Amino acid sequence: MNDKPVTLYRHMKDLPSTHLLGSGTAMCSGCGGLEALHEIYDIIGEKSLYVNAAGCMTLLSVYPFTPFRGSWLYTAMASAAAGAQGVRDALDILLEKKQMKADEDMQVVVLSGDGSAYGMGLSATSSAMERNLDFIYICYDNEGYGNTGQQYSGATPHAARTSTSKGSSGFRGFKKDLFSIWAAHKPTYVATVIGSEPVDLARKIEKAMQLKGPRLILALSPCPTGWDYDPQDSVEIGKLAVKTGIWPLKEYVDGKVRHTKLPKQRLSVDEYLKRQGRFNHLYQPDRNDKLINEIQIDVDDYWSEVVE
Amino acid sequence: MYRIRFHGRGGQGMKTASRILGTAFFLEGYEVQDAPRYGAERRGAPIFAYVRAAKQTIHERGVIQQPDLVIIADESLASVSSAGTLIGIDKHCVLLIVSNESPESWKHRLNLDCTVLTLAYEQLDIHQISYAGIVCTGAAARLTGIISNETLQRAIKQELAAFDESVVANNLHQALDAYKKMAEHEACVQKSQEISADNYQAPEWITLPFDDANISAPAIHASANSVQIKTGLWRSFRPVIDYQHCKHCWWICSTYCPDGAINVDDSGQPQIDYDHCKGCMVCVAQCPSHAISIIPEQQAEVAAPEVTAIPGDKR
Repeated sequence: MNDKPVTLYRHMKDLPSTHLLGSGTAMCSGCGGLEALHEIYDIIGEKSLYVNAAGCMTLLSVYPFTPFRGSWLYTAMASAAAGAQGVRDALDILLEKKQMKADEDMQVVVLSGDGSAYGMGLSATSSAMERNLDFIYICYDNEGYGNTGQQYSGATPHAARTSTSKGSSGFRGFKKDLFSIWAAHKPTYVATVIGSEPVDLARKIEKAMQLKGPRLILALSPCPTGWDYDPQDSVEIGKLAVKTGIWPLKEYVDGKVRHTKLPKQRLSVDEYLKRQGRFNHLYQPDRNDKLINEIQIDVDDYWSEVVE
Repeated sequence: MYRIRFHGRGGQGMKTASRILGTAFFLEGYEVQDAPRYGAERRGAPIFAYVRAAKQTIHERGVIQQPDLVIIADESLASVSSAGTLIGIDKHCVLLIVSNESPESWKHRLNLDCTVLTLAYEQLDIHQISYAGIVCTGAAARLTGIISNETLQRAIKQELAAFDESVVANNLHQALDAYKKMAEHEACVQKSQEISADNYQAPEWITLPFDDANISAPAIHASANSVQIKTGLWRSFRPVIDYQHCKHCWWICSTYCPDGAINVDDSGQPQIDYDHCKGCMVCVAQCPSHAISIIPEQQAEVAAPEVTAIPGDKR
């Protein structure tokens, strides 16, 4: 059996050199979420319709301006997937009544942050998967409620400082495994991506576009404002998230999980944590070996179970 | 009452600046309000924060419209009308601009008849940009004439208690330096009366005709028109490509630029769109041949024609 993926995107140079998503948006300088979105948008293309849950990216389209070339609809935090259902149904009705040509059909895309994807919007999303809604769900995951000052969310990693977990141990909870929550619904496609790995990202979007049904693109989105680092380090920190094994790049398709990039020699989690102010309390005034080890062991345990 | 407004860019510490000044007033026995303007404040975007301080109960609310002191931490904002730096400045107000140019030059350029002061600075490194705010706090404290050196130090230590000693020490150093530099202008800011609501005239009622939803609803029919917003104004430093060293790999800076502000032209040259580049410098950090460098925006304005010219040779 030869399941070597056929792809247009084999090397960096296969990626687009000019970009479709309009500049001039209000995202922070160095935004890792916008970096991922503009790479994704280039592949999905302009025949797409975005349903945006409240969050940082609400500010992409502030009347009378939009960076999108197709439609954009704004919903409350919990209801983007329900909004996508309405939009998909409307398009299907137009197609059925022949009021729209088949080649004018659009890809329906939900765009939400982690606050919505991991928490408030999960119920509507689960129901949409139950109904086998044909849509792509993009989550830009910056591991907290970034738009309102980085309060912790269901995506905040263990020990991170947020504006609602400021003590010497940081956030006491653990990051939810949204990938597995989605996969447990047996949808068409689930993938993790990151803007700093654009070829891997492009291939996954390409694959998602060839499929129908519920599809999740979960993008870890380094956030200079919420994670507290210099904006120019956004890509570097993204690469370190992959090299330390903290952010596994993987996909779920046909009932199987496959890792798309195996870090050969995983770096110590220190390399990732030390670069971000939100983990400063693990190193200052003294190194907190206990918490750092907990994080390292968690990553090691994950990879020890990965068999490829 | 004292009404003080700080203008700067997201990431320069303006919110903290107003917070520390508010705490300093409080420690001197004043009732205080301090607030950043809540909204879509973004790193690099123009933001402001403000402080009211009075010996009596403060009844005013909201953004300060008639300031007694306005401080502009980033001089490139003075002429950006959307930043609103000059709103409500009258003869009575004091305007302090962190700038190496003379007060006279600013007064002339902005056509103002109020007291204009400048605070000279050494070109801050791009990594020290977050100290811009504390400089303004130190200067404001001295200009009011109310806050003692000791109180200023206490307020800084109190508000920055969660930070490393070195960060606190650096903030103290910057604030006290500005405090000292403003000595000759001590107490030049005059407090003003509380605005009375007694003579308030409500605006006239205007009835708008009802329109169909397809006219009156906020629908946008243009495609990618966000490019009309010039986010290039957010920058205080700019990346500059040295085309002699650029390997024309073309995809790296263009792919990673979060704003899609680097596109490759027909001849294979990456072009930075300075109207929209927010100055995050991801391109500088990622360029494999280190062909992109950082220069201060003021320097770029002078050197722009030569720096951005593209050499004719095509490899």
